[in-house]
Amino acid sequence: MTLSSSATAEHIYATGLRNQWHPVVPSHFVAPGAMRKVTALGEQWLLFRRSDGALSMLADRCPHRGAPLSLGKHLGDRVACWYHGVEVEPDGTVSSVPGLPGCSLEGKKLVTSLPVREVAGAILAYFGDEEHPEPVALTLPEPLTDPGVDAFLCYAEWDAPWRYAVENLLDPMHGAFLHHDSHTMFDGDTTAKFRIRETGRGYFFEKTDQRGVNFDWVELCRTGVDWVDLSIPYPPSAGPGGPFGIVGMVCPVGERRSGVFFWRYRRVEDWQRASWRFLYRTLIEQRHWDVLEQDRVMLEAMPADADQQENLYQHDLGVVRLRRLYRAAAEAQSTAGA
Amino acid sequence: MTDTWPYLDVHQSRTHEPTPYEYKLAATLEEVYTREGHELADVVRGLNARQVHAADGAPWTEESFRAEMNRLGA
Repeated sequence: MTLSSSATAEHIYATGLRNQWHPVVPSHFVAPGAMRKVTALGEQWLLFRRSDGALSMLADRCPHRGAPLSLGKHLGDRVACWYHGVEVEPDGTVSSVPGLPGCSLEGKKLVTSLPVREVAGAILAYFGDEEHPEPVALTLPEPLTDPGVDAFLCYAEWDAPWRYAVENLLDPMHGAFLHHDSHTMFDGDTTAKFRIRETGRGYFFEKTDQRGVNFDWVELCRTGVDWVDLSIPYPPSAGPGGPFGIVGMVCPVGERRSGVFFWRYRRVEDWQRASWRFLYRTLIEQRHWDVLEQDRVMLEAMPADADQQENLYQHDLGVVRLRRLYRAAAEAQSTAGA
Repeated sequence: MTDTWPYLDVHQSRTHEPTPYEYKLAATLEEVYTREGHELADVVRGLNARQVHAADGAPWTEESFRAEMNRLGA
């Protein structure tokens, strides 16, 4: 099983773009010597970690009769299907068919194995279709690699389409309304003019008349993985270090499910870094969570046809641009194998 | 680690429920940052003025505050 290059554009748009990296789950979801079933891009996968920490991601499907490998046994360096004992290595090769030794399945790479990377506490995987199995170059978000920046990952699972979760991030104006009663987004004008500013890797969607007050800008970055960067002021109570930033990524789990990854980061060092980490764990994380829950409640309540019956205005330019980009990519990918 | 959907965990950064001492220190720090400023000397003075001392009861010095933050924020 693998992602098909003959999938329709509609299916790809609904379940996530192919031929790029996506976050899957936090790294700690798969302990050393453990495995975990996950759904991503509408398909079933098995994350398998050896005791030495090496991670692999396999299609959750035994090449023999299609039983889920995730019901099988972790043999240390392989997984054995529970149904007939067929053993599969982390790269997808069948190493043994215990019921018929010497069977022609042995030695063949029959299970899709996706390239994986672990980044700032999250597992990223490359979801290539049949035509594009080799991973594209992956450039990581600078806030996650800059030693002068400290970040905490917050992961949550929402019953909302992945596109709605990304669109929400390309819609800064909702901060002044949905998050008005929050510790960070209470201030600033409730009217604004926005513009799109192109970059080599995506675009900024930003207010023309206010910066550093609310959720005033966002940058969409397409660097092998899609992510957004944004900045929100902290009140003086958060101490030294200035605003906090968010690197956001979304895992398209299925048509109506998303895994959202938010790294809350701050440019802090020395005692200021320690102070921020202490306050974050003790008091701030809960407040950020309360804000995130406002997004979840709203997005989960959106009707399935929400993006079919709209009357958009100037504040929605960032969303319109995003949809056009994703629709075009889905169209291109659906015909890639034709 | 549960694998039931959905995963909605408020606290993902903690290693333990904060102690009453940690809650008190954090809340007072927020007040000090708001009222006294963000310089290390101001923070130490502000905590001591509020009689919110280190776990051993001693008034804060810049060194002891720095060390405690590094412990709590590691």
